[in-house]
Amino acid sequence: MPSDNVLSVRKLKLFFRTSKGVVRAVDDVDFDLTRNRAVVVVGESGCGKTSLAKAILRLLPKNVHTYSGEIFLNDKDTMKLKNEEYRLQMRWVKMSMVPQAAMNSLNPVMKVGDQVAEPAIIHNNMNKEIALQQAHKMFQQVGVPADFINRYAFELSGGMRQRVAIAMSLVSLPELVILDEPTSALDVLTQANIFNVLKQIKKDLGISFILITHDIATSSELADDVAVMYAGQVVETGDAHRFFDRPLHPYSIKLMASVPKLRAREEPDFITGQPPSLLNPPTGCRFKARCPSRFERCEDEPPAFRIDGRTVKCWLHASEDD
Amino acid sequence: MAETPINLEQTGVASPTTKTRPKTLLRLARYTGLKVVALLAAVTIGLYLTIWIANMGGYVDEIMRGQIRESVSIAVSMDPEMRTLSLPERRERIDEQVRLAEERLGLDQPFVTRSFRFLGNAMSLNLGRSQHLTSDTGSRQVRTIILERLPPTLVLMTTANFLLFILSIIFALFLSRNYGTILDKMTIGLSPLSSAPPWFYGIFLLLIFAAILGVLPFGGMVVAPPPRETGAYILSVGRHLILPVAAWLISGFFASVYGWRTYFLIFSMEDYVELARAKGLSSRDIERRYILRPTLPNIITQFALMLIGLWQGAIITETIFNWPGLGRMIYSAIQSFDTPVIVGSTVIFAYLLAITVFLLDFIYALVDPRVRVGSGGAKS
Repeated sequence: MPSDNVLSVRKLKLFFRTSKGVVRAVDDVDFDLTRNRAVVVVGESGCGKTSLAKAILRLLPKNVHTYSGEIFLNDKDTMKLKNEEYRLQMRWVKMSMVPQAAMNSLNPVMKVGDQVAEPAIIHNNMNKEIALQQAHKMFQQVGVPADFINRYAFELSGGMRQRVAIAMSLVSLPELVILDEPTSALDVLTQANIFNVLKQIKKDLGISFILITHDIATSSELADDVAVMYAGQVVETGDAHRFFDRPLHPYSIKLMASVPKLRAREEPDFITGQPPSLLNPPTGCRFKARCPSRFERCEDEPPAFRIDGRTVKCWLHASEDD
Repeated sequence: MAETPINLEQTGVASPTTKTRPKTLLRLARYTGLKVVALLAAVTIGLYLTIWIANMGGYVDEIMRGQIRESVSIAVSMDPEMRTLSLPERRERIDEQVRLAEERLGLDQPFVTRSFRFLGNAMSLNLGRSQHLTSDTGSRQVRTIILERLPPTLVLMTTANFLLFILSIIFALFLSRNYGTILDKMTIGLSPLSSAPPWFYGIFLLLIFAAILGVLPFGGMVVAPPPRETGAYILSVGRHLILPVAAWLISGFFASVYGWRTYFLIFSMEDYVELARAKGLSSRDIERRYILRPTLPNIITQFALMLIGLWQGAIITETIFNWPGLGRMIYSAIQSFDTPVIVGSTVIFAYLLAITVFLLDFIYALVDPRVRVGSGGAKS
């Protein structure tokens, strides 16, 4: 395993028990993240993106059915850690997150400064004063005015709350930040601002990002690498430049075609049909029912084929591998 | 840019607060004034209604007039001196004495006029004298009667309610951490037990522990005669407390736990609790800062309402256990149309409720910043 990987995920599974059966939200996911890069995880709603983030962060609800696989952080298997060890060694020390709904992710009765400083107090053994100074630095980094440190969440606008949440994820200087649709509730101008902030942070602090989004257009600004998720699986990974230029997987091709382009004549395309239920996913290739280029081999599950640094889970690319 | 040392106190935090302070004080004073006026109005209306109801809209006056005439006629007809008088003269004497007695009690004025005088007396805590009830020391002062009955009620209700409140919150927090377990399901399954009132369980407890097993007393607050030494006295009261408190707990516990557990469960599913978990906070910190802190206003409200409830006593439970408290006093006062006692206990209760509500507003502001910022001058 190359040691410049900050994160390597192998055969990660996260299934949930529900009244209708077992939901296979994350099903055999493999991917790698190199240091100081940002990988964008894209996919439709309900394809398991958020569950992937939860699985990496071990934020499990009560109805977990299966949680298995390997998650290497700096070549150390975090899955082997006990919960308390994981809390003290991993949570916010190595990995932090920016949650999906920043509106509701701040404690309404604690000053935002205290909340931002909290992880530094717990994990970096700072006293409150120094931790608040650290929080203050992070506020500057993300563009939140200094006096907001003594405000409460309800006194901030949505964009400011999101920035506070980002500041909070950075305060203990983790190696990896997972952003779960950090801008989906914001207007486009604020979205653009936040993405500029994130780009700046990546440059200044050398932190790696996993950015989970369905907003391909906006995220392309930040992306170094792309992972495409479909029905609980990662179907394609690769560097962003080549991916946006020429996606490999038929699903990725359709997904990219559905993004409106600024100076394009053609109408955005759409994908017919519904994504399969994660309760009972189809055998073989999971995209076959909606795939325009399906053929006999799609009845078997395709492995992830490697094509000069990219991976794709599709039989169409088998010939280059064999 | 990240190197600049910053003194947090100086960076624009302090200045806007000092500027707005007189304004804030003014707003606070106005708010307080309005609140006091509103609460006083509510207390007045509530009391006035109680006075009308306790007097049955003035019908109690008729009852009293009848009683006066009856006792006066008996007294007059029994008096040997009156025997010599002729019938019309005797009737005149009776009418005269009835008039005097009615005047003494104020019955010569219409009830409406007197209702306002009652109201004024009640509001100024001039509780007056009871009509039938007496205190154990023989006093007819309503104030003395109430004060005498208060300690037993407080002993019983404070013990029972504090236990219920604290036990159910602790247990509910525990269940919300372990929801879906067998213990959790069992507690929920048992919550219909609370559909029956405490005295219902009291009867069974008395039957089992007093009548059949004979290990605990049937009722009352101490053994008769009361022990001389303080230690023995407390021990005796403690033994007498067991059954009523147990009845109270059985009746209240499961529904209370169910309510709190669901409440904590909802609040522990908030995104900020999940984020706190992701931040690697210990579960104790999460429980304290992210679950209990945001829910504190409601916990305080429930607690304050419980405190008010203490003053009322428990009418039937006290009667079942023969407990010499306020509940039993109100029970006998209602039975004998003793309006001064009814109105007297209502006025104390109303004032306590008003004071609690008044204080709660300020406590909310202390524990919840969302309440603190008033309508006018939030974001500077």
